[in-house]
Amino acid sequence: MPTCQEVAENATEYLEGAMPRRERFAVWAHLRICPNCRNYLRQLMRTVSLTRRAGASDPPPPPQEEDRLVAAMKAARASRSD
Amino acid sequence: MAPDEDAALLPGLRAGDEAAFRALVRRHHMRLVRLATVFTGARARAEEAVQDAWVVVVTSLGNYSGEAPLGAWIAGIVVNKARTRAARDGRVVSFADMARAEAEGPALEPERFMPDGHWAERFGAWSALTPEREAGDRQLLSRVGEALDALPPAQRAVVLLRDVECQEPAAICAALGISEANMRVLLHRARVRLRDAAAALVEPEALPKRSTFGKRA
Repeated sequence: MPTCQEVAENATEYLEGAMPRRERFAVWAHLRICPNCRNYLRQLMRTVSLTRRAGASDPPPPPQEEDRLVAAMKAARASRSD
Repeated sequence: MAPDEDAALLPGLRAGDEAAFRALVRRHHMRLVRLATVFTGARARAEEAVQDAWVVVVTSLGNYSGEAPLGAWIAGIVVNKARTRAARDGRVVSFADMARAEAEGPALEPERFMPDGHWAERFGAWSALTPEREAGDRQLLSRVGEALDALPPAQRAVVLLRDVECQEPAAICAALGISEANMRVLLHRARVRLRDAAAALVEPEALPKRSTFGKRA
């Protein structure tokens, strides 16, 4: 069975479903008896959703910037449909 | 990200509706600038690259198949534009070389473990991190955002594309020119650092006094 260190180092491979079946089973067996690794992996999963929130919580661009971008988009579309 | 909200904008975008353009720009622009900065370095150049990308987005919506979320498709265009821009500005950084260098060594410092491979620290459940807190704790989200900005570039690119833009691993590897194994190592290192940043603010549940993990009689 893998050690905590091995489980922790390969946690993303496990969570992303990229681990070969045998290794995957060995990690699963470790997690069954190791609450510390279970909590660590759960924290990593919560971190993914925190990161998504943090990365998506940027404010919108300033209004002038927005106007400039939208004008460029409209011009590009108009010249394409000419 | 809310791919469904983006999907609702599609008919308007295809029809050239200005309100749909505005909604899309408001929702994604600043985040995409953050992504482009990984490649361009300077923020001003990143902003130009994202503007170029917006033009490509509105003129090639016909090529969008709907397989990936719209945001992920746009992020792919931004990566291309930012890389082109960086190359034109003489920022000749091989992303693959950088990615390999950033993936060297273990993700977790060996001091965090005992010599026998057990953890030297303990983790309580994050039950204090309720969905409400996850959505509304500005301090926590900005701490994670700062940690995101502080990541080395290749790790930052991968975690932004995978965990923020929700791109599929194959699409990320194609956009960045790296292997899936390399991508996962970078993603792991990034997640480990971001977890550590969040852990500084999330109080873990109290642990039982007696050790119940690892070695069992």
